[in-house]
Amino acid sequence: MSIEIRNVNKRFGDFVALEDVNVSLPTGQLTALLGPSGGGKSTLLRIIAGLEKADTGTVSIEGVDATRMSPQKRNVGFVFQHYAVFKHMTVAKNVAFGLEIRRKSKGEVRERVEELLKLVHLSQFADRLPSQLSGGQRQRMALARALAVQPKVLLLDEPFGALDAKVRKELRDWLRRLHDEVPVTTVFVTHDQEEAMEVADEIVVINDGRIEQVGTPDSLYDKPANDFVMSFLGEVTQLGEIRLRPHDIEIALTPDLAGSTSADILRLTRVGFEVRLVAGTDEGQEVSVVTTRSHARALGLEEGERVWLTPSSGAATVPAMKSLLAG
Amino acid sequence: MVELSLPAKWAVRLLAIGYVFFLVGWPVITLTQRTFSDGLASFNAALSDPDVTHALLVTVEISIWAVIINTVFGVGMALLLVRYQFPGKRVLSALIDLPMSVSPVVIGLALMLVYSGRYGWFGPTLESHGLVVIFNSPGMIMATCFVALPLVVREVVPVLEEVGDDQEQAARSLGANAVQVLRRITLPAIKWAVVYGVVLSLARSLGEFGALKIVSGNLTGQTQTAPLVVEQKYNNFAQNEAYAVAFILVAISVLCILVVSLLRPQESTS
Repeated sequence: MSIEIRNVNKRFGDFVALEDVNVSLPTGQLTALLGPSGGGKSTLLRIIAGLEKADTGTVSIEGVDATRMSPQKRNVGFVFQHYAVFKHMTVAKNVAFGLEIRRKSKGEVRERVEELLKLVHLSQFADRLPSQLSGGQRQRMALARALAVQPKVLLLDEPFGALDAKVRKELRDWLRRLHDEVPVTTVFVTHDQEEAMEVADEIVVINDGRIEQVGTPDSLYDKPANDFVMSFLGEVTQLGEIRLRPHDIEIALTPDLAGSTSADILRLTRVGFEVRLVAGTDEGQEVSVVTTRSHARALGLEEGERVWLTPSSGAATVPAMKSLLAG
Repeated sequence: MVELSLPAKWAVRLLAIGYVFFLVGWPVITLTQRTFSDGLASFNAALSDPDVTHALLVTVEISIWAVIINTVFGVGMALLLVRYQFPGKRVLSALIDLPMSVSPVVIGLALMLVYSGRYGWFGPTLESHGLVVIFNSPGMIMATCFVALPLVVREVVPVLEEVGDDQEQAARSLGANAVQVLRRITLPAIKWAVVYGVVLSLARSLGEFGALKIVSGNLTGQTQTAPLVVEQKYNNFAQNEAYAVAFILVAISVLCILVVSLLRPQESTS
């Protein structure tokens, strides 16, 4: 395991940012720390980098206890949400910074900077100032800068959070490809579940300073440990006493299937290839259901029609509990 | 922007220009006129007086020391105020502004009370170790530092706040130690604010009168500074010489302001 976090607690005044966090992040993988804003995921990342000190607990990186190590000794690359570019230096100088601090020879620095700028597709911008770059380019430069020192782990704090949707999508794909090319252990913080599901090998879901679940994107989506994880990773609705995803409900026009619930279609909306509908059960529960357009057409679904709803086999479900619903 | 009618615009302009003219412009123009009313005669008279040239040298020397000390401590204190949390931070911040609101004469008297060789609280101890503070350069430099204290700090603090500490954290995570972060990241980012603060404190230091009159003892040919010489010459009816020295002081201040206004646009493009 590349990064071991044991019993970490962190408070800011009265606010509990992290509460008894224990997690192991595997070597060579791309891990996402996923959770809502203010949940403690950035704090955990900053504690790994040494930019923040844990009140109690230990952090070890590649088997070395780093708990009391200063950030400059940890050999981690850190990429900030707002890029943290060195404004008064050219792109090449920014990337060279860590190498010059390490007193590498001029030739070596030049060679490595060229190589990195090529990797992040910024070779033609080497002599520009960061203010002449777009947001996406700045973030790629920041990545090259962090990679220049060949860090043991690369940490990214909401790396695409300040970019617009299209660039964010591009950079996300690009980060995934980059990680396949340069397989350094990478941890990135995000509050965007789609981003985490698409890019990460493993996801750590953090909420209210605690780790809710750790697993691959598929296992988290299919076997959520609790209601929070389930609702954070996608849409959730309630059918009877269980909570499940709207697309995991099967619709029938007759009560053939065992355990089906009768309901009337209250609203029906077509969005592109899918049909979303809200059905009211006899107990007065409103259930959201998502189905394909062709399936809806085959059944001839319309508002006001009576249907029977059944959780599809193999659907991810969690029991509906009042206390969890509040969160 | 508030839209004004044309006559109102002109009225506002006239009022502003008139105010500055009668308050600053006219007196300075008159001073210049008087200095050169008989050509360079009073100028030559002033500059050939060894007491005057000595006073100018003392002023420059004291000011340079005060500016150097003030810059180092000013940048240090600005960093302390912006980057660190500690108890008593607000008290420190308020104390830094104190010289702005207290008359320099009071500052002079306060320094006397602590460092005077005869009755000061700390002075006799220092003097027994051979360090004479009052009526000597150390006291004069201290008094000048005191009055110019806020100028560097208050220039640098807002810039440090605006820049944030992201760049410093990035540099640390790339392996830079505290000195490297300061030299390579922090100082380049606040460069222009420091320059501006230095120029302002230089102008302020050159012109200091009240505090220096008390702590220097105003000893002609020894601790007398240029502003003090102006007063002495004026009181001794050597008014033309007084005007000439005053003009030199004004000229240096104008030069300082010119330097600053030339730097300002560069600051906004960098």
